[in-house]
Parts: sequence; C-alpha cells; structure tokens
Amino acid sequence: MTVKATRYAVELYGVPAVLVGKRRIEIEAAVQTLGDLAWALLRACPQLAGPVLDPELGWLQRGYVFVVNARFTREPTTPLSPGSEVLLVAAQAGG
Amino acid sequence: MNAVHNQVLVVDLSTGQTKPFPIPQEVSSLLLGGAGLAAWLLLHFAPPRVDPWAPENPFIVATGPFIGTGITTASKLAIATTSPQTGFIGDSLTSSYLALVLRRTGFDALVILGQAPRWSVLVVENHQAYLRPADDLLGQDPEATAAALRNELGRDVRVAAIGRAGERLVRYAAVVNDGRLAGRTGPGAVLGAKRLKAIAVRGTGRFPPVANPAGVTAAARRLAARSLGPETAKYRELGTVANLAFFSRLGVLPTRNFQAGSFPAAEALAGEYLTLHQRADRQACAACTVGCEHHFRTTDAGPEVTVRLEYETLFALGSLCGIEDPNTVLRAAALCDYYGMDAISAGGTVAWAMECVERGIPLPGDPADWPRFGDGLSLLRTLEAIGERRGPLGDLLAEGSRRAAEIVGQGSQAWAMHVKGLELPGYHPKNLRAMALGFAITPRGACHNRTSAYEVDFSEQAGNPFEQLARATAQSEDRAAILDTLPICKFLRHCFDDFFVEAAELVRLVTGLPFDANELQRTGERIVTLKKLFNLRQGWTRADDTLPDRLLGPDGIEPAELETLIAAYYRIRGWTPDGQVPATRLHDLGLASLLVHAPSGS
Repeated sequence: MTVKATRYAVELYGVPAVLVGKRRIEIEAAVQTLGDLAWALLRACPQLAGPVLDPELGWLQRGYVFVVNARFTREPTTPLSPGSEVLLVAAQAGG
Repeated sequence: MNAVHNQVLVVDLSTGQTKPFPIPQEVSSLLLGGAGLAAWLLLHFAPPRVDPWAPENPFIVATGPFIGTGITTASKLAIATTSPQTGFIGDSLTSSYLALVLRRTGFDALVILGQAPRWSVLVVENHQAYLRPADDLLGQDPEATAAALRNELGRDVRVAAIGRAGERLVRYAAVVNDGRLAGRTGPGAVLGAKRLKAIAVRGTGRFPPVANPAGVTAAARRLAARSLGPETAKYRELGTVANLAFFSRLGVLPTRNFQAGSFPAAEALAGEYLTLHQRADRQACAACTVGCEHHFRTTDAGPEVTVRLEYETLFALGSLCGIEDPNTVLRAAALCDYYGMDAISAGGTVAWAMECVERGIPLPGDPADWPRFGDGLSLLRTLEAIGERRGPLGDLLAEGSRRAAEIVGQGSQAWAMHVKGLELPGYHPKNLRAMALGFAITPRGACHNRTSAYEVDFSEQAGNPFEQLARATAQSEDRAAILDTLPICKFLRHCFDDFFVEAAELVRLVTGLPFDANELQRTGERIVTLKKLFNLRQGWTRADDTLPDRLLGPDGIEPAELETLIAAYYRIRGWTPDGQVPATRLHDLGLASLLVHAPSGS
C-alpha cells in the first residue's frame, strides 16, 4: 500500500530545540506511525542524530519522549494521522 | 554496617555543651542514613507537639552512607526540623562540599537543640565544637557570612549560613551553603529562632570505610559514565529552566497565582532563550559529574547580576507573578539568594498578594507599595520588604500565604496556594492526577520532589485507573526517600534501568548489608512512614491532606476524584481510611522498636 506524503509539524523543546534552533519544524513525508516520523525527523534535522535520536535505530535515545495528542509515548508503533500534534522533549525528571 | 560512624554530635545551644550520641545499630540498618536518619533523629529528640520556634525544636543535619565513596552526586545533606510554615516535618536537602567535610568529622549527623543566649556561629572541628559570637556577622548575606568565616577559620572550613530573612524569622527562610539553598519548609527560620547565624565545619578525618572498596569503585565508575549520557543532557545543556516553555505548552505552568496553566509570554522566559542569550556559566556540586547548575546574567541597563536559576525559581518569580522580563526574574532570584529565602514560597506568597490587589482586597501599608501582576518593580520591592520584614506589608508576607490569608481574610484563603502551609511548586495539577495526589499527601506539604509524581502523569501511565496511579505515586515516593537517604541526586534516576535493583547492589557494596530491591523499597516506605508519624504526633488530621480550594473543581481535580485517589493511597500504605498508621503496620515495617514517643492515634 502506498502512503501519501503528508505535512506534519513537530514542536521541539529543550535540547532538541537548541540543537535545531527552532521551536517548530514541518516535515512532509509518507508517515503512518511515530517510528516513521522519527526517521523523517532524523533526515530533516541531522543535528538530532546522536544526542536525541539514535541514527542506527532511527528512534529516541533514552531520556527523550514524544507527546502525541497530549499523550506521552515512547512507542514507535503509535499511529499518526494528518493533524496529529507531536512534541519532542526530554523525559521530565524534576525541576 | 559499613560506611557509617554510628555516632551523632548533639549540641545544646542554650548551654554550649556537646555530647556524642550513639546511633542504634538497628536504626542504621533499617534506615541507612540521610533523610531516613534525619527523620528518626527528629522523632527521637523532639518532644511531642513541639513548637517550631521553641528551643526544644531540634535542627538535624544528616549525612548518608554514599557520601565520600566516589559515587557521583552523593555529596548531599538532609535537614530535618519542625517547619515554621507547616508545623509538621520540615525536611530539605542541600548539596556540595559541606556534606563531605561533615562526613569527615567522625559524625553521621548534627543534632542542634536549644537557643543560644546571643547570636552565635556553631563551629565544628572534627570531634570538637564550640560557639563563636556572631554579632559581627549579623545583617550579612549568606555568601558574605561564609566568606568571612572561611577567611577567619581556614579555607578548608565549609559553612551553612542564614541571611537577613532567617535573622528576621521569615517563615520560609533558607539555609545556604556552597551557593545552594535548603529553602523549602523554612529551615533558615528555625536557625534564626535559635540565634544561630551559621554552622562552620572542618572535617579532616577519614571517610568511614565501605564494605567492598573495589566493587564500589567499579560501580561508581559505571554510574559516572551513565551520568554523562542522554538521560541527563537536559540538565547539562540547559538546566531545569528547560521545563518552562514545555510546561506552558502542556497547560501545567502555574501562571498568575494558578489562575491559568499557560503563560502567553512563556517564550520570553523560556530556558532555550535564556541559554542562548543570557547564560553566564555552568557549575557542579562537589563530586558531581552532571553539572546542572546554570548561571544567567542580566542584559538590561541596570547593574549586572549573575545568578543560578532553576525552573522552580523561574516559574515562581516569573509566570506565577505574571512577570515577562527575564532580567526582572534574575534580579528577583538574586534577592531571594541575598536574603536567604525559598523562592517558591516567596513567589507564591507575593502572587497571593498580587491577586488580593487585583480583586480589590486591601493589604496593609501604602497602596503604592502593593505588588501587582506583571509589575516587576513591585515584585522586587516586595521581596526586599519581606526579606527585611520591613513595614506592615513585609511583615505580613513574611508569614507565608496561609497565615497572611488568615490575617487579611475577606475570602483570600481561597487563593492562598499552599498545602499544609507550604506553597505549591511549578506544576499546575489540572490534568496531572498523580501530582495532585502527591501534593495532597506528602508529609512536608505541597512538594514535587518528595514524590516526583508528575513523572507518572508525564508518561504512558497517565491514563491508568486511580488505584494504579496511587500505587505508582507511592512507589515514586519510596524511591525519592531512598535517593534522599543514600544519597544520590534525583537527576540520576533515569540512569538506572531498574532503580531499586541497581541501587540495592550499590547499598550492598557500600554497607555490606544484604539488601535486595524489595528491602530497599521497604526502607523507602519506612522513611515515608516515619515522616508521617512525626506529623501525626504534631496533630495532623485527615483534613490536612487536601489541595487549595481553587484546585478542587474544574480548574484542578474534582474533590471526589481526589478523595478516591487519597483513599487508594492510604490503602496501599496500609493506613486506616482516616490516614492513621496502625500499630500492626509499624511492626510489619520493623519500626515499632525504633520509636520512643509513640504518636497519638497509632
């Protein structure tokens, strides 16, 4: 099945935001799951490779988490749909 | 048990006498040290229903077994006393070199009793202690006090001091050492009541030996390597100020005295912005590989200020007071440090006053001096008035939001944002069910650190049934108690795959005690229970475990939901439905034999 490319916005907080230099980036990619989006994010923002995203696995390093439609998740099979709100942030451990 | 001295130094300020007090072996093996030892010593030395201001109120400073072992981030001290804010247990942590030197005096803890006949400094030099008159230090800020004492006594001396807020009995005054503040619950005010300006410590002895030196060295090396990984990058690269913009986006950033959960000007205060434009340097506590302490400098036209800034200070003196200018927040943070005041309670109390003004409720003093949301100059002016207890307004707000609201009345208790008298930290509990529970039940009052329950909300567990949320909150509270006891910095907790399993291995290597994960978690529960027992003895009732009115309803959590969560939490703890600790539970936890003064109701 061919997945049509869709535009997704990802909001970055903390270290990811500083590395990329933006609060929000837009990615146009054929994406069905959060795992797919992480790969697309890696391609769009190579600054995240290493500190935030494992370039081999195409997935989050320990200590980072996505928030999809207000739900925290590190599950790459989380389905996405056009209009999904996606945030990338360090896992919260105090202040 | 290895890695302990098994001895406490008891100082009576009223007489100047000191004596060693042997720690019962059972206490060390059941509680390990740190926050657990401090809670037990408080229960042991405090008379029932002790008044926070009374000379009989003990002031405890306790070390833990990991200090000086080479385990990263372990240079921490646990403080326990009766809080002038809550009347219940006041426990705070502080970090850095003071922990190392105190550990080398040959004592595991200090117990300070009585009230000095005149303002004094307690000087501890290994096994000796004496009082030095402090008249020449009165009015000085904590940093200047420490500098003067180190200049006089030697550079190897480390100092914990109070500022003018502590001298003037501001109820949320802090104890300051090595640039760190133990501020929550007002321990600096207790030192002020004891007329103790500072504690100066020189310790040149050996650290108590660990059970397995080679094993500890190897484990410490592994933990240090993990402490430099992505789990702590947030703290190294930005510090906790990274929370602010994200919290605003989630709607959990307390704004304008918790009237909102998002701050329209959040980007102006965002940690990312501060890091790029105003960061001065980064420092670390003694024996810490993380280095979370970020200093920021002002960039406006006024005199330059450079100050350490944490998220809690940033929210409390920023969004909570409607302040959009980061330079104002930095100046306010510097004032709290100068006077030696807890920034959360200072900001929370000023925000309460700002809402009074917004609602037309008159405050004492000249209306021109009243603080107003978004008015940075009025914030700075009010903090100075509090730190000095200057004028009727400063005197009122030095009492904290609960007492100030009781004095002013006119319904203002409804927006005094505290639990048990302790102002709420920077987590708006709307949509944070576990954190709402944590705020309500924590013995020290509204606190994020003693449960870290927000982690449950900020995870895939957030949607779980209430029973599971309550269980996760209790487990998180047990873990926090262990971290404060060993001690290990909470910022390392994500560096463990299974905290209790791996920490138990460290405990075995350091102490030689046959700890496993279950026993370590039970130790955490013991410590939480001890704190609860102290509160029971101080007159705690079921009504004390609640949230401010504003947060009970659509802007927080429905009262019935909170009651369900609290009931589940008590059940999980093995407590009665009205929150009492049954004698059978004390026996189950091995605590019954440790208690001299049984709390009423147990």
